[in-house]
Amino acid sequence: MTNKGTSFYERLEARGVSRRDFLKFCGATATMLGLSSSAAPMIGAKIAGAADEGGLYPALWLHGGACTGCTESIAQATYPNVADIVLDFLNLVGQETIQMSAGVQTLEGNEEFAEEHAGKYILIIEGTVITGLDGNMLRVGGHPFIEELENFASKAAVVIALGSCAVDGGWVVAYPNPAKGTGVGPYLKSKGVATPVVNLPGCPMNPEELVSVVVEALLLADRDSDGVPVLGPIVNRLDANGRPKWLYGSTIHDNCPRRGHFENGEFVYEFGSDEEAMGYCLYPVGCKGPQTYRRCPMIRWNSSVSWCVDSGGPCIGCANWNWVDQNAPFRGRFRRVGAGVLGSGGVDPAIAAAAIGGIAGAALIAHGFGMKAAKRIGSNATLKTEECKEWETKHAKKGGAA
Amino acid sequence: MAENIVLDPVTRIEGHLRVEAVVENGKITDAWATGTLYRGVETILKGRKPEDAFYVTQRICGVCPTSHGHASSMAVESAYGIKIPNGARLVRNIYESAENLHSHILWFYILAALDYVNPAKALSADIGDTVDLAKAAGTGISDFAAVQERVGDLVKGGDLSVFSNGWWGLNPITDAEKIDAELYNPDMPAELHLIGVAHYLEALEMQAEAARVMAILGGKFPHGMTSVAGGTAFVPDSLKLDDILYRLKRVVAWINNTMIPDVLAIAPFYTAALEFGGGCGKFLSFGLFNDTDLDMHNRFFPAGYIDVANGLKVDPVDTDKIKEDVKHAWYTSPSGLHPQHGQTQAISRWDDSTFDLDGQYTWGKAPRYDDKPAEVGPLSRMLVGYLSPGADPAIKGTIDYALDALGITDPTLLVSLLGRVAARVLEAKVMGDQVINYVVELVEAINSGDAQTFQEYVDHDGEGAGFWEAPRGALAHFVNVENGRIANYNVVTPSTWDMSPRDDNGVRGPMEEALVGTPIADVERPIMAARIARSFDP
Repeated sequence: MTNKGTSFYERLEARGVSRRDFLKFCGATATMLGLSSSAAPMIGAKIAGAADEGGLYPALWLHGGACTGCTESIAQATYPNVADIVLDFLNLVGQETIQMSAGVQTLEGNEEFAEEHAGKYILIIEGTVITGLDGNMLRVGGHPFIEELENFASKAAVVIALGSCAVDGGWVVAYPNPAKGTGVGPYLKSKGVATPVVNLPGCPMNPEELVSVVVEALLLADRDSDGVPVLGPIVNRLDANGRPKWLYGSTIHDNCPRRGHFENGEFVYEFGSDEEAMGYCLYPVGCKGPQTYRRCPMIRWNSSVSWCVDSGGPCIGCANWNWVDQNAPFRGRFRRVGAGVLGSGGVDPAIAAAAIGGIAGAALIAHGFGMKAAKRIGSNATLKTEECKEWETKHAKKGGAA
Repeated sequence: MAENIVLDPVTRIEGHLRVEAVVENGKITDAWATGTLYRGVETILKGRKPEDAFYVTQRICGVCPTSHGHASSMAVESAYGIKIPNGARLVRNIYESAENLHSHILWFYILAALDYVNPAKALSADIGDTVDLAKAAGTGISDFAAVQERVGDLVKGGDLSVFSNGWWGLNPITDAEKIDAELYNPDMPAELHLIGVAHYLEALEMQAEAARVMAILGGKFPHGMTSVAGGTAFVPDSLKLDDILYRLKRVVAWINNTMIPDVLAIAPFYTAALEFGGGCGKFLSFGLFNDTDLDMHNRFFPAGYIDVANGLKVDPVDTDKIKEDVKHAWYTSPSGLHPQHGQTQAISRWDDSTFDLDGQYTWGKAPRYDDKPAEVGPLSRMLVGYLSPGADPAIKGTIDYALDALGITDPTLLVSLLGRVAARVLEAKVMGDQVINYVVELVEAINSGDAQTFQEYVDHDGEGAGFWEAPRGALAHFVNVENGRIANYNVVTPSTWDMSPRDDNGVRGPMEEALVGTPIADVERPIMAARIARSFDP
């Protein structure tokens, strides 16, 4: 399973990517992994070495109840071609949206692949696990998708739950959860499948997040005597919710470029306003940045050209657990710290984490509005200033945070 | 002797589709399209704030979220009686154009092209001849040697990654001759296959570039954040407009100089596909890109309905004539309802008899216009534009140019598999040229003070509908607002139209009808059925 004909750098250059571009990419990866950018050459050497020695790493990508947005997202990866190349390290036999085969050849190909690479391949799942009508609300190849999921997950080395839908069911499990959706982790746990699951919540997943996990899990990992990456290190770097710590350790609000306006009490109260043109803070129009753990302001989107808040759109908290019920109404200011309707049932530690984020957000906004009320001089500012009250009266119905 | 074919999953599409067909004497005589996924977005939206539907409904489709967002906001605006201001109109037109350019490039090269271009045959191309051929075809000159080496590496290594098992059970090297003869066209030179593969790789960058325009306008793609009810939260400024214009021009140049000549070079090897795959012969468009009056019949691509049986003429769209049948779908809710008051109640139990081609066999409803199936998509938009006297002459001009280049004198031949593929590519050219006009118009509007981006409003109860077009066809959202909340929401997607099952009268949906009459040389390798299914981009 190697492409030993040419060296990694030769292949890279054949694809129109200079060594310099590649190191730039490694620098970005280093930053994302929380390392100094001076680690870039080390990462580059590791990737090149792994590529020349290990070749393509076996991977299978299956679609649950998906909108294909995470596939679309990965097609938009940063730095022309480079992230694609890192993914090219994957021998991605199954990927329904781009694979050449169809029908019975797809199904048999996946089976043969899983037998050949049993215990060694990475399984990527996009979309909700649909359990409605005993799983018949999503059938693939004439069978419930949940059977396919259990089969391929139990033979995989690691499962990546890609995007909010795969993590906990995403928008599909919003009340009343008509398709009885759930996440890959909870579903596999209920079936006693022990394969570790890496959660990458967000709607959609940001391609840089997946690339970062692939680099971390496969290319920076030590290999055993068969050349198979030892996946221990990445599993040890997940938080209590199965998310890579380096990607979900801070809130949107922590790193938001509009944070200064928040501190100054400079807010957008209506789209199309002068305040919006000035790029003020979007909290009053519903921004969920304070309670959403993700690194969008730093990683940004689509080759870093923008991200939600930069375009004028308030964060809707798409990386939160059960994010629609947690955060809707999206344009309402988030004043209630509630658990919403749970998709998977029971008490999920993630809900507690999200709730804590909400409390932190409430405290922060008290601070921000206080700053405005006090014209940035008072230390005893309170939330209910006349100006805030006036705004809340005016927007009470539209905000809708009952 | 009748034989059955089952294609499940149909890959290289968005979503989950199963196609079954009966083949007799080398041709499909009957067919069924099954949507195999139910999520229930309409049920989820009940009781929520109408403005929230913009965010949730984009997630119906990660390939066309922009269109869903626009249709959703238009439905809410219609319920509230809001008329979006000029700046918002132009921003949305640019945004929607970028999605179409992105989607058309992605669909043609990444989803459809592998049915016409064989990466394995590209390995035997002569590089010098490839350059000469590209020059003669007037298409882009790529580093063909590097591409050939890249594919060669993959084949030599034995791990074919996404190309694995892609030759319908045949071996790409040892069965090369059989593959060429039965799945592709042996007359199509290896050099043209290599050009196709090279531009497949370039297309990955070009679709991403078009998506970056959407990301500038909406923060990210997929699932943008700004086209909210009332207008847009995006504030156009010189820095961002400059960036948008530069990227759009790059994409448009590539479409004109690579994508169009590629299709005109490849099409002559597949002219047999002019003879079948036409479908139901009825075409519906809700119209795309608003003019200042926001009237669907006055859009750049005008709304219109064509029933080819009544001659090549366009009738205006009467949205009261839309209904959705569910007799053959897995719902217990009433059949034949207008979607403004549509209901979506899934069946409550599943057993061995639930999947029944004579009874219920899909999660897709059967939308009908004037009680008949209707095809939606680029072919519908282009035909309506071609036949509408008031439409922009660029639409007719582009089609006539292509017909002339391919030596086709009868435009009704566009009602075919090849016509459907060609229409989408040609539409990319028309849209590409037009989006530059919208950017210029927006700059002029800003200079003249007519570029307001958001209309403040007071929400109130009422019914509303947003009629729009996704890249793959006509899209409509319907909302009923009661006590400030969504009392009923309904979405009729392009895929629902095109891959619809039989209606209550037993009449097949457009894709099912297009499959009938399609030649299948070998039931073990129904590539032609896959081509038909993918031509709708379901």
